[in-house]
Amino acid sequence: MDFLVQGFLRAIELLFAGDAETFSAVSATLVVSAYSLLATLAMGLPLGFCLGYFDFRFKKQVRVVVDTLLSLPTVFIGLVVYAFFTHRGPLGEWGLLFTLPGVAVGLTILALPILIALSATAVESMDRQLRVTLMSLGADRRQLFLSTLWEARHGIIAAALTAFGRVMTEVGIAMMVGGNIKWQTRTITTAIALETNKGEFAMGIALGLLLLLISFAVNITVSFLRKRD
Amino acid sequence: MQDPLYAFRSLAHVYRGASVLSIDRLDLPRGGMVGIIGPNGSGKSTFLRIAGFVEKPTVGEVLFNGKAAGPFAPDVRNRVTLLPQEPFLMRRTVQKNIAYGLQIRKADSRLSERVNEALAYVGLNGKDFVQRPSYALSGGEAQRVALAARLILKPEVLLLDEPTANVDAVSAQLIQSAALKAQRDWGATLIIASHDWQWLYEVSDTVLHLFKGRIFGTGRENIVFGPWESAAEKSWCKTLDDGQILRVPPPPAADATAVIEDLRVLGSESPPTGASTICTITGIISRLALEKASGKVRASALAANLPLTAVLPQAQIRGQGLYPGRRVRLAYDWTRLRWI
Repeated sequence: MDFLVQGFLRAIELLFAGDAETFSAVSATLVVSAYSLLATLAMGLPLGFCLGYFDFRFKKQVRVVVDTLLSLPTVFIGLVVYAFFTHRGPLGEWGLLFTLPGVAVGLTILALPILIALSATAVESMDRQLRVTLMSLGADRRQLFLSTLWEARHGIIAAALTAFGRVMTEVGIAMMVGGNIKWQTRTITTAIALETNKGEFAMGIALGLLLLLISFAVNITVSFLRKRD
Repeated sequence: MQDPLYAFRSLAHVYRGASVLSIDRLDLPRGGMVGIIGPNGSGKSTFLRIAGFVEKPTVGEVLFNGKAAGPFAPDVRNRVTLLPQEPFLMRRTVQKNIAYGLQIRKADSRLSERVNEALAYVGLNGKDFVQRPSYALSGGEAQRVALAARLILKPEVLLLDEPTANVDAVSAQLIQSAALKAQRDWGATLIIASHDWQWLYEVSDTVLHLFKGRIFGTGRENIVFGPWESAAEKSWCKTLDDGQILRVPPPPAADATAVIEDLRVLGSESPPTGASTICTITGIISRLALEKASGKVRASALAANLPLTAVLPQAQIRGQGLYPGRRVRLAYDWTRLRWI
C-alpha cells in the first residue's frame, strides 16, 4: 500500500510543481479531444437529428448498425486508421500517422456512433406535437431544425458529454495512431500506460487525477449552464 | 361568386396502409366559420393538419387563394395556423412560447405589450403568467397559452382541433370567445373541429360532417350502426334497447351503416297514413339549438339510447310546443334511407 500513498503524494507534488512532461500530455489530450469533438459534433448532430426525427425506409436497420458501432473495439479502429495512414496506405501521403490530427480522426470514428445514437434517442423522445406546433407557428425548415435541437438540448448535451468522456479516456487509438511520442503525441492515457509499465506510479496517478479534474470541470460547467437555462 | 379561400381537389390521405381521408372536391369561403363534426377516427384531425399545411396529403391538391400550397410554402406559412388537440408548449416561459412565432418572423417590436394583449384575449393576466415556465400551467391554462401563441400572429386562418376537449368549463368558454373575437377583430377564417356540436351549429356558417374520412353532409344526417337483422321480404330491422324496431331496406352487409336524412318530429300529430314505408318510433327531445346558418332549430332526441337529430322551422317548435324532455314521435321513410 505504501507505494500507492507515496505515489499519490508525489503526484500532488508534480502537479503543483507544474511538471512540463505532465502538462504536455494534458495539452495533447485536450487538443485531440477538442478536434475530435468538433468533428463529431459537425457530423454527428445532423445525422443523429435525421435518424431520430425522420421516418424513412430501413431506419430500423440503420439504427441497429449505429448501435452495433457503439461497441466497436478501439484497437480495431486504431488498426484501420493506422492501415489507412501508414505510408503504404491509401491516405499515407496525408502524413497524419503519429500526429495529433491523426489521433483525432480515430477518436472521431469512435465518438461518432455515440453522439448519433444518443442524440437520435434524445430527438426521438421529443413530443410528436413539437413539429406540428413549430410548423403551425410559421417555422421554416431551418427554424424547425434549430428549434427542435434547442428543445432536445439537454439530451444532446448529455450525448456530447458522453462522447467527450469516451474520447478523453481512450488509450488504444491514441497509442496505435499517435505512437505515444513524448512531447508530441503522448496523451494522458498513453502516458499513464507507459509510466505504469515503467513502475512510475506517481506520474500515472498525477495524470489520472488530472483526467478526473478535467471531467469534473466539464460536468460542473454543463450543470451550471443547465441551471441558468 | 367570391373565389374560395381553400379548394381541396381529389384529396386522399393514407396512414399505415389505411385510407383516413378522401375528399373529391371541397371549397371553403374566406372570412367565415366552418365547423367540422364527426366521430373519433373520422379524419377531422387529418383534415385540419392538411388544411393547416403541417402535413402533405398522400395524393391531391390544396389550393389556397387559388394557388397550390403545402407545408413550408412561403405563401401560407405565416398566414395559416393550427392549434392541435393536445396543446404543446416548449420548455420555455409563457412569454417565450407566445413570442416564438413573432420572433421567427423578426417582428419583435413591442413584444411584451403584444404578449400581454394575446394573453388578455384568452383571459389570462400577463403580470401573473409571462414569466411562468410552461410546466407550471394547468391543462386549461396551457391550452389558452397555446391559443394565445397563435392569436398574437393575427393569422388569416385559424384552425382549432377540439380546442375545448380537455379543459374545464371556464377555459372552454374563454377559448370559444377568443376564437370568435379573432374572427370579429381581424376577419380571421375559423375552421374548428369539435365534439360540441351545439356550439358549432350556433356559431358556424357551414358545418361539415366527416365520417370514415369522407364528407357526406352537413351534420343533419343521422348515422345508425348495424348489425341489422332480416325481418321480412325486402325489410330488415334493428331492435333498440327498449324494444322499438327501426326498419331499413336490405343492407349491403349485416353490419353496414345507415344514414337517415329526412327525420321528422311528429309531436302529437298522427303519423302519415297509408304510407307503409314510414317507420315511426318514440323518443324524448334532449336538446334544442339554433342553427346560425339556416335560422332553423336543431332538435336532438333520444330513442332508447340512439341519438337522432331533426332540423325544424322555428314555427314548428312553437306550434308543436317542443321542449327538452317532451316525448315525441319520430318518423322517416325507410325506403329513402341510404347506406355508407
